[in-house]
Amino acid sequence: MEKSENVLEVENLTMHYTTRKGPVYAVDNVHFSLARGGSLGLVGESGCGKTSVAISLLKLLPENAEILGGAIRLNGTDVVPITETEMRKFRWKNISMVFQAAMNSLNPVYTVEDQILEAMHQHIPHMSEADMKSRIEGLFELVGLDPSFKDQYPHQYSGGMRQRAVIAMALSCDPDLIIADEPTTALDVIVQDALLKQIKLVQEKVDMAMIYISHDIAVIAEVSERVGVMYAGKMAELASTEAIFHRPIHPYTMGLMSSFPSIAGEKKELVMLPGEPPDLLAPPPGCRFHPRCPYATEICQEEEPEFKDHDSGHFAACWHPGGES
Amino acid sequence: MWRFLGQRFLQMVITLFLFQAATYFLIDAQPGDIADLLTLDPNIPPNERERLRAELGLDRPPVERFFKYIGNFYRGDLGVSFQEYPKPVIDIIEERLPRTLVLFLSANLVSFWVGFVSGKILAWRRGGWIEYTSTIAGVTLYTVFLPWFGLMMIWLFAVTLDLFPAGKFLSPINWLTAPVNANYIFIRMTISAFIALLIAFIGTLLSNRLEPRHRLGARLVSFIVPLAGLVYYWQTSEFGALAWDITSHLILPILTLTLYAYAGTMLITRTSMLETLREDFIFTARAKGLPEKVVRDKHAARTALLPVWTGLIFSLPAALGGGIITETIFSWPGIGLAYLQAAVVEDIPVVMGILTIIGILTLISHLIADIGYAFLDPRIRYH
Amino acid sequence: MTATTTPDATISIPEVPLWRARLLMALSSLRSSWAMFAENPIGLIGLGVIVFYGLFAAAHPILMNTVWDPVVYDPVNGFDIEIAFHPSAPSMRHPLGTDVLGRDVLSQLMFSTRYEFALGMLAALATSIVATTIGAISAYYGGVIDLLLMRLADLVYMMPLLPILIVLGALMDIGMIELAIVLGLLFGFGGTAIVVKSQALSVKVKPFIEAARIAGGSDFHIIFKHMVPNLLPISLLYMMFTVNTAIAYEAILSFFGLTTIEMSWGLMINVTQVFGYLLRFDTWWLLFPASIAITTLCAAFYLVGRALDEVVNPRLRRR
Repeated sequence: MEKSENVLEVENLTMHYTTRKGPVYAVDNVHFSLARGGSLGLVGESGCGKTSVAISLLKLLPENAEILGGAIRLNGTDVVPITETEMRKFRWKNISMVFQAAMNSLNPVYTVEDQILEAMHQHIPHMSEADMKSRIEGLFELVGLDPSFKDQYPHQYSGGMRQRAVIAMALSCDPDLIIADEPTTALDVIVQDALLKQIKLVQEKVDMAMIYISHDIAVIAEVSERVGVMYAGKMAELASTEAIFHRPIHPYTMGLMSSFPSIAGEKKELVMLPGEPPDLLAPPPGCRFHPRCPYATEICQEEEPEFKDHDSGHFAACWHPGGES
Repeated sequence: MWRFLGQRFLQMVITLFLFQAATYFLIDAQPGDIADLLTLDPNIPPNERERLRAELGLDRPPVERFFKYIGNFYRGDLGVSFQEYPKPVIDIIEERLPRTLVLFLSANLVSFWVGFVSGKILAWRRGGWIEYTSTIAGVTLYTVFLPWFGLMMIWLFAVTLDLFPAGKFLSPINWLTAPVNANYIFIRMTISAFIALLIAFIGTLLSNRLEPRHRLGARLVSFIVPLAGLVYYWQTSEFGALAWDITSHLILPILTLTLYAYAGTMLITRTSMLETLREDFIFTARAKGLPEKVVRDKHAARTALLPVWTGLIFSLPAALGGGIITETIFSWPGIGLAYLQAAVVEDIPVVMGILTIIGILTLISHLIADIGYAFLDPRIRYH
Repeated sequence: MTATTTPDATISIPEVPLWRARLLMALSSLRSSWAMFAENPIGLIGLGVIVFYGLFAAAHPILMNTVWDPVVYDPVNGFDIEIAFHPSAPSMRHPLGTDVLGRDVLSQLMFSTRYEFALGMLAALATSIVATTIGAISAYYGGVIDLLLMRLADLVYMMPLLPILIVLGALMDIGMIELAIVLGLLFGFGGTAIVVKSQALSVKVKPFIEAARIAGGSDFHIIFKHMVPNLLPISLLYMMFTVNTAIAYEAILSFFGLTTIEMSWGLMINVTQVFGYLLRFDTWWLLFPASIAITTLCAAFYLVGRALDEVVNPRLRRR
């Protein structure tokens, strides 16, 4: 496999769910790429399609979901058209994931070591059992867990320990890309902070790309180089963390920033914007943000803005970038 | 572990005592007593009746009689059957219990295994006509009027296909010249079958340690060898024909009870699997790139087994009832048939004795099920 | 009715009496539950079968008063003297033949249906009342009361039901109502109480219970006014499973000849057995109609129970 510069390129990805009331376009024409070893944060309100992007990348869709179009290039290979059996070889080996509900992402009836070993047996069969076990011990140390805990069952771990074990599991097959979907949400603030530091540390030590998904922009700022802001299944803005924080273009991002507390400490949910996220069953025409946008004009209601580069790598989809008219 | 067992044993003894008390006083509260029954003859003068009462201890208060009964019970004296006077109740139980145990255990083990495997597969292939037909067929089998189902089995296998006899424990014509009684052979059959099963089980366990490509062959061998040994043993034995006579009478009741118990396990496995498949660790297992079969068997089914096992515990009393009905339909003289016949003619000592035995069996199966659950669920094991 | 009451309910909430608001809420939740239930063909099949048997039972008195001559077609005392030999095979005159005693099988089958429904419903109602009361009391008081009641529930749940019913049937005269009450008590004290109690525990910690307690409500008031109404849905669900079990047990006991019920499906097969026709498969009409009726009605209640389970328990839902 020829190594491309980008570990992941997502082009015009569109995915929908079929529901009783009609199709829901959870991911609509999403476009981004991630350099080898780079990190990207995806931020947005709940229901904006962040997790749907993640499960589309792994192609682990529920029965009622379908990728309608676009391309997902992992190391240059488009995985959208390949079969389930072929996709299985990519999972964990090339792209692994840390889930939102780490509490429940370990099977209660097997030891943690067993569950990590089984992934390694699947993807790196040439490695000897003893090497695997010492690798697991190394990973446990890397994520800040006592290696002697590896023979225990998940229920014997605390919540934070389980999350660390899941991170160790995600690292076990040395993937090129790791997706962390709100890995700290279910934990209390102190554990959350320690875990974030650990994740940053791990990322620096192990050369791998990372997509970090969170509704909490403060968390994203801490761990990612670039940030993608999602709104109602669409990518609203994508730029370096620095640019997003200091020179946001999209009014939605500007709204997010104003609701972000300047002094570290108190963390808030993104509730400061007026109005509610749109109903994805019947999204508003034109720009999906226009009903809540203070700068909205006629064109916003009629035509969808193009997702384009505004300032060398600073992408946004807006008719009035930066609030200009 | 030992403390747990000790605690459970004490609990069982107390529960059994309560159960015995409840059944004793329930039966005792019925109008009329044994003396009335024995002395229905109006020619017996009232003072003679009173004398008999005193002799049988019936003039004593019920609580005293109950404690005397309990005392005798733990000495192995369950009284004497009225119907087959003066045969002791314990003899009837001794003769009938092994048969019922064989029927009950083999039907429940087979149905549990088959039900679990098929329920697992049905949950995996959700949707479409297979789901609906299998659910409706399963529910129909689960709620079927068992006497009718038994009769249908007789009609199909005994009358139409003429494969097996229609009922009874044996055909008397084969036993006219037999040097030993049926129970002697039955016990030996049970023991030999148990040994064969044990060998097959150990063989299967050992075959799991082999490399995957040798596994299937080793498993087949570990089943075929003990089976062949069993057949060979009885073929060469002088009692081979008699053993076959008992077996051929046994197959149809076992098959009926197995099918009846199967549906329950299948349905509950399916439900449990569907719940487990929504768990996050199943999603993780898929994300790990594990083959679907591993996700299904190692992750989903193993975890889904826990509620199925609990369900089995709770379905045991119903399965016992099913055993009584099956024995009745096939006139197969196990403990259930003895119980029903005794109840109809109000043979109180036999009814009490068997009811207590049924209570003990229920308690023991609960204990075994609890230990099995602790073995299956590490959350209980490493508490 | 809903069309006229809905607007003023939404516009001026305070003027609507509480019972009416509750009724409207119940109706709307019923409507969405029905939509979910109706998606499941299995539940609809079950419901269809139950409705069929309901009509079947209702048709009997009509037929008796119009086409069927009571002397010939009475389910208990009828006898057809125009037929030389009973049991007679199905004919135009007797669509399902006659039984050993010369009675019309179809008439017996239809006549019995109402009793099966009555027994099932009565047993289920008794179960519901007992289980909800025990569950609510156990959850509300906790401590020793809870321990005692739940140990008792375990004991009852573990007990082999059929042997106990056999002994009761053999020693006592058990009719329809006695059987329904006995079954209701045994089911209600056993498994259903355990399930309802776990539900009651989650109701107990709801704010409105606390509010009622602070407002000075008596224990009795809180349990029966606030907890029990919230436990009814789960109770109702388990009622369905109780109905089919009760019908099955009645059939078995009547088949063994241990009840004093005048006419039932189980008894029809018992009569067949007593006269030695059970293993004679050429007289199938003495065995099949009643057996199939028992099986299908039990299966129907069970199917509806399962479908309701999927509505109540979101984890089983397809989506």
